[in-house]
Amino acid sequence: MSTDLAAGAPPAGGAGRPAARRRPDLRLSARGLGTVVRLELRQRVRSTRWLVALAVWVAVIALVTVLVGLAFASEDLLGPDPVGQGPLVFSLIVFLVLSMGLLVSPALAATAVNGDRAAGTLAPLQVTLLSPLEIALGKLVAAWVASLVLLLAAAPFLVWAYAQGDVALGAVLSTLVLTALVLAVVCAIGLGWSAVCARPAASAVLTYVSVASLCFLSPLVFALTAPMVLTDEQVTVREQDFTGVTQEFDDRGNLIGEEPPCVEAVRTQPVFHSERTWWLLALSPYVVVADAAPRPPVDPRTGLTTFDPLSGIREGVRAARLGPQPEDYDFCTRSEAEFAAQEAARRERLDGARAVWPWGLGANLALGALGVAAAARRLQVPYGELARGTRVA
Amino acid sequence: MTAPVSSHPPPAGPFAAAAAGGVLARGVRRTFRGSVAVDAVDLDVPPGQVTALIGPNGSGKTTLLLVLAGLLVPDAGAVTVAGVDLRADPVTARARVGWMPDVHGTWDSLTSREVLATVADAYRMPRDAAAARVGELLELVHLTELADRPAHVLSRGQKQRLGLARAIVHSPAVLLLDEPASGLDPRSRVELRDTLRALAASGAAVLVSSHVLAELDELADRAVFVAHGRTVDVREDVQRGGTGGAAATARRYRLRALDDGALARALADLGAPGTPVAGGTDVVVATEAAAADLVARLVGAGVPLVSFAPAAGALEQVYLDLDDGERR
Ligand SMILES: Nc1ncnc2c1ncn2[C@@H]1O[C@H](COP(=O)(O)OP(=O)(O)O)[C@@H](O)[C@H]1O
Ligand SMILES: [Mg+2]
Repeated sequence: MSTDLAAGAPPAGGAGRPAARRRPDLRLSARGLGTVVRLELRQRVRSTRWLVALAVWVAVIALVTVLVGLAFASEDLLGPDPVGQGPLVFSLIVFLVLSMGLLVSPALAATAVNGDRAAGTLAPLQVTLLSPLEIALGKLVAAWVASLVLLLAAAPFLVWAYAQGDVALGAVLSTLVLTALVLAVVCAIGLGWSAVCARPAASAVLTYVSVASLCFLSPLVFALTAPMVLTDEQVTVREQDFTGVTQEFDDRGNLIGEEPPCVEAVRTQPVFHSERTWWLLALSPYVVVADAAPRPPVDPRTGLTTFDPLSGIREGVRAARLGPQPEDYDFCTRSEAEFAAQEAARRERLDGARAVWPWGLGANLALGALGVAAAARRLQVPYGELARGTRVA
Repeated sequence: MTAPVSSHPPPAGPFAAAAAGGVLARGVRRTFRGSVAVDAVDLDVPPGQVTALIGPNGSGKTTLLLVLAGLLVPDAGAVTVAGVDLRADPVTARARVGWMPDVHGTWDSLTSREVLATVADAYRMPRDAAAARVGELLELVHLTELADRPAHVLSRGQKQRLGLARAIVHSPAVLLLDEPASGLDPRSRVELRDTLRALAASGAAVLVSSHVLAELDELADRAVFVAHGRTVDVREDVQRGGTGGAAATARRYRLRALDDGALARALADLGAPGTPVAGGTDVVVATEAAAADLVARLVGAGVPLVSFAPAAGALEQVYLDLDDGERR
């Protein structure tokens, strides 16, 4: 017994806390998790503010969807029966739902821990048999369920957009699943900040900053670092050989006579090594959702895929990941048929290129896990040092 | 390893008796970023008794209770709670401790019944047993009528009663209450006192922190006084005037008689000169026996004595002595 006392004796300096710090408490049970989830959901769902938020959410999405529908129904915009209208409408609705989800989800979790602490309802949970992981994950699951309800409320609008035609059914599913996962990540990041920051206002701001950084800052950094991966290299280019050729054009500017022949030449060219920085793009939730959506079917009238923002993002990031390709240095003018063939080859290569979204999703999930781990660590009692500006209860 | 706890010699006795339950704390110290909140507290909370933790604002009562409740790591010291070493097995200790904080936060969208059911769930109590226990507790704290209304309609005192129920859902062996009586109306105070006495009678070790001494006089069996984060005095048996303090002081009694002159003369004759004050005459008497003796002599001397009572509550007197008018 006296050794117990010795272990508890003040260390020489008096400032440090002895080795009681701290085996992580990793207990996790379904019952404990369920207790926290039920508590959190009851506490949230009953507050009328939440129902108002849900109503506003549906109203905003409905309004934008109706506007999109009206815009495309008017023949002035794209002419009668425009090609590619379905994928375009679908893309817009996907971006709308994802953006709204990214805007609202932080609010669901970003004050989960410090808000409770301020309200005096955190410590009474911590003194029970609930483990820090159960409290952290329970809060995460509850916030996620709330954001899933929002997503589900938005699903009919996605289905409506799908019904506009030319969209792969898989795109609806991948969008819903990946948006759900992205929202879980956002909730987890908010939870982490709410445990790290003393003040709810600070954690809310940091959560929004984190989400905005993921969405927009990482593509921006990709663009800004482009000069750093732009190197002058010797590359083989295909170009027209104009030596000894005089070109003549008719009144309408069409070339008279033969095209000059194509020749290969070795030249020093700036080469954009985007294969070194593509992962910056992959971090963005927009890229994750867009890249995972299957390509719309080829338009039977043109034999080409139509352009829509989702496919645009997907092709852009996959091309970035592949890095420079031979046809980037093919400067020969081509016939329509040549162009179509090259376009088909390019698309095939991009379709064959490995997907980018698993990397982005993986990185996002890792960030979310970091948030949960931070929260669980901060929730473990007994506390050693308290964060500045916080009290226990 | 040698124990540099020279001021607290390892008391094999109390720690050997730790299995008996209650709280045993030795040399507890806790700082916040260098500022000392609890300096060196020794505290025993025996089962079956109500122990009062008394000290001025800022003397470290709340911090000490947080350490005992398993929310704060002590910088130094050893704590055994309900037979469990807090450092070695904090989770088991938590299962045996009930803690009522001094802030009465509650999940305000939940009903009182749900609040208690949630806490029962959090302590892993079997569901059907929990439901019965919740009903019983609601009855105990007189919230049955409000049981199914959201907690935000509760008044401060009602919230506090809910807080008490929340702290004892799992029938803890050790109950820690941080200023439980502040904000309660007189009836609720009496009920709180009866509830805590009943819990103690059923074997729980109850620790009540407060600086409202009047309510503790009738509640506590023992009193532990802290000041500046240190245990400064311990009184056993406070219901009977208080004994065994480290500085067992003589007690001041206030006397009133129909004839003040006769009283003053009689006191002077008996060698116990009184001090005239607004409400009568004050006399300092060493022990209760001496007080009884003094009454008999005064009456015997024919003084028309009207009242003979302690000038201040037993606890109040000690408190005022140690407070020295100094607050943090
Ligand atoms: N979380 C904290 N951070 C810094 N100082 C604290 C903290 N909690 C308490 N203190 C300080 O410790 C001392 C004791 O506080 P407390 O335990 O609340 O006293 P009491 O409950 O007896 O009024 C006070 O001086 C207080 O300012
Ligand atoms: Mg206090």
